Amino acid sequence: MNYLVMEIHPAYAVVLDEEGRFLKVANLRYQVGQTVEKIVELQLPQKRSLPLWKPLSGLVGLAACLCLVFFGYYQPNFTPYGALRIQINPDVELTLSRNDRVLELEGLNPDGQDLIAGYDFGGKGREDVTGELVERAIDMGYLSDGETVSITVSSPDAGWQARQEQEALEDLEERYGQAIVIQIGPAPEELPVTEVVIPVTPPASASSSEQAAAPILDDGGATGDSGSDYGDTDYGPSADGDSDYGPNADGVTDYGDTDYGPNADGVTGYDSSDYSPYGGEATNDGDTGYSPYSDGDTDYASRNGSADA
Amino acid sequence: MVQTEHSIVAQVQAAKIDPEAADAFIRQYMGFIRSETVKFIHTAPENGREDELSIAMLAFYEALLAYEKSRGAFLPYAARAIKNRLIDYYRVEKRHGNVISLHAPLGAETDSGELLETIPDTVDHAEAYETRTASQREIQEFSEKLAQFGLTFSEVADNCPRQERTFTACRRVLEFARPRPELLKRVEDTGKLPISELAAGTGVERKTLERHRKYLVAILLAFTNGYEIIRGHLCQIVPAKGGDGK
Repeated sequence: MNYLVMEIHPAYAVVLDEEGRFLKVANLRYQVGQTVEKIVELQLPQKRSLPLWKPLSGLVGLAACLCLVFFGYYQPNFTPYGALRIQINPDVELTLSRNDRVLELEGLNPDGQDLIAGYDFGGKGREDVTGELVERAIDMGYLSDGETVSITVSSPDAGWQARQEQEALEDLEERYGQAIVIQIGPAPEELPVTEVVIPVTPPASASSSEQAAAPILDDGGATGDSGSDYGDTDYGPSADGDSDYGPNADGVTDYGDTDYGPNADGVTGYDSSDYSPYGGEATNDGDTGYSPYSDGDTDYASRNGSADA
Repeated sequence: MVQTEHSIVAQVQAAKIDPEAADAFIRQYMGFIRSETVKFIHTAPENGREDELSIAMLAFYEALLAYEKSRGAFLPYAARAIKNRLIDYYRVEKRHGNVISLHAPLGAETDSGELLETIPDTVDHAEAYETRTASQREIQEFSEKLAQFGLTFSEVADNCPRQERTFTACRRVLEFARPRPELLKRVEDTGKLPISELAAGTGVERKTLERHRKYLVAILLAFTNGYEIIRGHLCQIVPAKGGDGK
């Protein structure tokens, strides 16, 4: 292709090609009117498409960060993924996140609510909470040796569910395996009922029922000594039939003694109106005792000399 | 002359818009361009190495067109641009690596003459000179005509369609207008493009016509009487295309 040089500048020349294009090319010592064959064409700066995506890039980055936080941290830790139910006698349900974080703790029966009352599960994992709850149950007397703890896990994710059951079982087996029985699956509902029912229906066999009833009716050991002594209605520490509220278990109800004086002497001591510091000695002597001497002299009449009381 | 970076930036900004300012700016920085070229070719840009200097100047011009103030100082950028352009140029030239220079000495002796002298000179120098002066005159006239309408060749070159599709559309417009002297006359008299007629006649969008108005005016002016050489230069292609187009 031939190019006709139309105009020259120090750094470039304008040439016209045969198809009618005007081009800027390197000025290789051209002269106007010259026809040249080989040219070095000017490369125009490419329009950069930066402005299109640049304002968006910040948003996209932010969205990516949020996605990362949500799916990487928030979802596995803070959204409920499944529930773990512990049945001893107290029935407690733990709501778990995917990463075994306990999100919620709920007592499903009054004992369960009792068990978790005041218990802080914040930030703890499933392992800690189950362990501590079983320990609490032992401390509070809900659970004793040889009894059964049932663990039920429910979740839409079957694999997760199985793994949780397995892990919970292993954890508890390791810690309390010798003392208690741990089982997977819901506790048989009838079993605790019959256990409670048995002592009630045959009252004669008190000795057998007592074993089961003892931990539940924990009344401070007073019952343990003489069986179910309902005749003993005193609330005192010793089963002595003394129902007096007096300080001395002397069988004296002292109802007659209504004085609040120090001595249970039936003397109300209301007459003693002396406020002298020597009240101990000068009771009921009619001496108001304003004078330093408890001589029965009120001494009000000190102006008139000595007065007679 | 010590220049602060700030005034260089202002000069570059001015040179981007105004071709004359660009020429002045390039003349002012010839020393810089030359030294960058010497750094690359390790010899003075003389004796058959002048092309490198021309390429370097073009690269400097490209750099000033492409320069963005927010992306750093101008001179280091221009130095880089020159170096890259020279590397490019050398890669292209490597294809001709097995070509010997016409200026190579003929024999072992230094005064035996050059290879160039052995080639028979078939070109009629007198005629070539005639043609060149004639075309020079014509181009001069043409540029004066363009100047009447406020156009320069630089502007026309900047306004020239680069995309193939746009270029084809523009050529369709030119082919439509060429056999219609009344349209050409109107362009010649007013310097204005009869956009609505052209758009209606060719089906090319008005927007395309408006965008390449300067270019179309320049070519249509070249089609008017008096520019035989330019028309002859263009004629080599246009009739062939017109032939299979219709």
